[in-house]
Amino acid sequence: MKEGKKKIFPVHYAPGKKLFHIVVTISDAPGSYSSILDLLRTKVNLIGTSTYTRNDGTAMFSGFSEALSPTLTSKELEKLIMGSKAAISAKVYEGKDGLLVDTFHTGYVVGDEVYILMRRDGLVHVFDRVSKMLGSGGDALLFEEGVAMGMRNAEMMIRNVGADRVRAQTGVLNRFLAAQGWGEIEAKVGPKNGSFTVRIDDCFECTADGSSRRGCNFMRGYLAGGAKATYGRDFESKESKCRLIGADACEFQLKPR
Amino acid sequence: MGSETPIMLPHAGCHGHSLRRWRIVAAAVLGGASLALGMVSPMLAVALPAASIALVVENRGGFETIASQLNRRGLKAHAPAAIVGKSGVKHEFAFALQPDSGKTRIVVDTELSVKEVDEMKVLKFYVKVFDVSPEKAVLCVCPRLGERAATLAKEYGITVLEDDVPRRLIPMAEKVVTEFVESGGNQ
Repeated sequence: MKEGKKKIFPVHYAPGKKLFHIVVTISDAPGSYSSILDLLRTKVNLIGTSTYTRNDGTAMFSGFSEALSPTLTSKELEKLIMGSKAAISAKVYEGKDGLLVDTFHTGYVVGDEVYILMRRDGLVHVFDRVSKMLGSGGDALLFEEGVAMGMRNAEMMIRNVGADRVRAQTGVLNRFLAAQGWGEIEAKVGPKNGSFTVRIDDCFECTADGSSRRGCNFMRGYLAGGAKATYGRDFESKESKCRLIGADACEFQLKPR
Repeated sequence: MGSETPIMLPHAGCHGHSLRRWRIVAAAVLGGASLALGMVSPMLAVALPAASIALVVENRGGFETIASQLNRRGLKAHAPAAIVGKSGVKHEFAFALQPDSGKTRIVVDTELSVKEVDEMKVLKFYVKVFDVSPEKAVLCVCPRLGERAATLAKEYGITVLEDDVPRRLIPMAEKVVTEFVESGGNQ
């Protein structure tokens, strides 16, 4: 199976379709989820679903769906779902004019941390504007912000799983960044003691078309900051290849100062 | 790419001076004509940009002269100067004093405008200064900073030199640099 980007559904547009967002609190027990799916399968076509457990013995089911019948109502669906022993409460939101927006959730939580979702392109254009307005100083500013964020994120990870595990599982933790859409990161230990070569395919920082920047200064800083927090010493970080200047992937050289 | 070794740009020679003089005269003639005609001709719309280019070239020449004088005294002055900051990003300044030992002592930049210079220009200079961490930072401004820009410059500890006539900024900057050097950099 080929790796790829995950689809999530804070919004869905399907002109001419009757759309529902189904949110159900279920008991956190084996079979609860499948019993809800079983009930729904004759009424709706599920477009995207998610489930997550909560700390109170319950779990949440959230699903975007298209009605199989044009006469189906949200009240009918709620009544149907509440017929299941697994359902504790249910709320069904109906879309309008083919547009369905998640009006139940208020953000994302990963571990204990609250995340926001934004368009890659939007963030990259912020970087472009900083660089354009402040020139080389803007590039330095992006680097500094990258260092700060890299350090904070690594420190958070060290608090959660411990410094030894972070050092030993760098490859796995890099997949965590990939899963968030930062790019596919591969770090190799370099020939010199303590140095690394980091290759990033699909690096988010250089995805916008028409950027006037010449390098990924934020990511360069992020790697230096992450390495500093992980290994307890300063690292020099240089970008040796960048997609902004024609390379097929970005590559960074990190070595201890 | 943001990480390069420091490269100091070469100084212009005598040919550079005569070319500069020609450009200044040409720009002054065009600029004067455009003002006299009230900028009614689209052809003359090029006059002001040409004039500002000439002023930049003239200022550059002025800083090169200051650098030459200081270099004769054994100081490492560069005009223009390209300095790699802590971030690894290379920044350009109109003038800088940077000994071989590394730490930049003084940097000077210019902001020439037909109206008051705004706070974005101060910020643009400051982020470069922040990255390079010189002992002293001087911003030469024509004609002057706006109120908010002046407040910002003061907050950032930037020495601001202002004059309505760009070429007067050169001797002003020279005085500040000389005083800084002669005081041993304790200003």
